[in-house]
Amino acid sequence: MAESDILLKIEGLRARVEEKEILKGIDLTIRKGEVHAVMGPNGAGKSTLSAVLAGKPQFTVTEGSIVFNGKNLLEMSPEERAWAGIFLSFQYPVEIPGVSITNFMKTAVNSKRKALGEEPLSAAAFLKLMREKMEFVGMKQEFAKREMNVGFSGGEKKRNEIFQMAMLDPVLSILDETDSGLDVDALRIVANGVNALKSPEKSAIVITHYQRLLDYIVPDVVHVLKNGRIVRTAGKELVAEIEANGYDSIG
Amino acid sequence: MSENKIIVGAGEVFGKVMVFSGKAACSDGLDIVLDAGARADVTLIVLPGASVSSRFSIELAGADADCRLSGIYLCPDGEKVDIRVDMKHLVPQCTSCQTFKGVVSGFSSVNFYGKITVEPGSQKTEAYQANHSLLLSDTAKVHTEPQLEIYADDVKCSHGATVGKLNEDEQFYMRTRGISLEDAKVLQMISFVAPVLDGIADEAQRMKLHEEIENAIRNGFGK
Repeated sequence: MAESDILLKIEGLRARVEEKEILKGIDLTIRKGEVHAVMGPNGAGKSTLSAVLAGKPQFTVTEGSIVFNGKNLLEMSPEERAWAGIFLSFQYPVEIPGVSITNFMKTAVNSKRKALGEEPLSAAAFLKLMREKMEFVGMKQEFAKREMNVGFSGGEKKRNEIFQMAMLDPVLSILDETDSGLDVDALRIVANGVNALKSPEKSAIVITHYQRLLDYIVPDVVHVLKNGRIVRTAGKELVAEIEANGYDSIG
Repeated sequence: MSENKIIVGAGEVFGKVMVFSGKAACSDGLDIVLDAGARADVTLIVLPGASVSSRFSIELAGADADCRLSGIYLCPDGEKVDIRVDMKHLVPQCTSCQTFKGVVSGFSSVNFYGKITVEPGSQKTEAYQANHSLLLSDTAKVHTEPQLEIYADDVKCSHGATVGKLNEDEQFYMRTRGISLEDAKVLQMISFVAPVLDGIADEAQRMKLHEEIENAIRNGFGK
C-alpha cells in the first residue's frame, strides 16, 4: 500500500514515567480505515501507550518517533493533537465539578473550529448537534446540564466518552479499556457508537484485556503488548487464541 | 464604625453586593446588627487590580436571625486583600454562613481572618465558615486564620480552610478534547469561585455578576 494510506506510524518508541521505563521500543503502523486492537496483561504498558499518543505531560518520550498524518506528533500539545483529529477515550474519565457537559462541549467544539479556521457554531446548531449525539449514544437529554462526569455511574461515564467522541468526530480514536466495568447492554451501545463512526478515512485503536469488546468491534489487526514491547501481531484470529490460552503462551 | 452601623429590624431583610475594581486601594466594611428573624445577605467581590481591606462585624442579636456573608477575590498580579470577619452570636437560635473563595497569583497576598463567637447561652446556634483559595504562583501568599470561640454546648459550628492548586488531571482531560490549556484553567477557576454567587437571590444581578467574574478571570488569569 502507498505511504499516503498511513495514518499513524510509531517507530522505536520508548517512554518513561518518572524514572521507570514503561514502553521499551514500540513499532506500530496504522493505515486509514483500520481498527487495531492492542491486548495484553496488566502492567504491559497499554494505557501508557494511549497516554503518550494523547500527549500526557507526566510521560517522557526518550527515544523514537510518532508521525500522525505526516506531522511529528511529539512536538504537538495535547490540544493540538485533538485539533488534528486524535481522541482518547479514558479508562477512568475525569470528573470536573462546576463545568456542565454543555459548556464543556461548546468550548471543546469551538476551540477545534477556531484552530481549523472555522467560525464558531451558532448556539442553535450546537444544541442540535448535542441532541443528536446524545440520542446516538442513548444518553438522556438532562445530562446536558450535569457537571462533567460528576456522580456518573461507570457505564454513564463510558457512554459520555463515546458521546464526546461523536461530537468531536476524530480521525483516530483511541479507546483505553472502554469495556472495563460495562454490562453487556452498555458494551453494545459503546460498540455501536464506535462502529457507526467507522469510515475509510478513520482509524481506531482499541485497547482491552478481553475478547468481549472485540466481539462487537472487529479488529483488522491485533497486537499483543507485554512488558513494554509488541510481542506478536496478527489478524483477528489471535483474539481467540488469547482467550483460549492466555497471554503466557504468547511472546 | 459605629456611625455606619446598620440595624436590620425584626423580620426585615438586608442585602448588599459590594464590588471593588480598579487600581485604587481602599478600605471598607460593614457593621450590622440583626434583630429577631432578620436576615442579611452580603457579597463581597474583589476584581483584579483592586487592593481592598474589608472588615465585617455582625451581631446576631435576636432569635432566628440569619446572616449569609460571601466573598470572591481575584488577585492575578500584586493585589493585597485583607478580609476580617467578626461574627457574633449573641442570642440562641441564629444561623450564619460564611463562604469566601478566591484565586491568587503573581505577587498578590490575601489575608483572611474570620472569627465566630457564640456567647454563653446562645444555644441552637448554627454557624459555618469556609475559606478556600487557589494559589497559582510561588510568589503569591495566602494567610487564612479561622477562629471559633464557643461558649454554648448545643450548637452546630464548623470551619474549613484550604489552599490548593489547579488539578492537572482535569486539565489533561480537557486538553484531549481540544480545550486549550489557557481555556481549561479559566474554566477551572470559574467553576471554583462561581458557587459563591449561588446565594444571591436576584437572578438578573447574579447572572450579571457571573458574567463579570468570568470576564475578569479570562482577562486577569487567562494569559
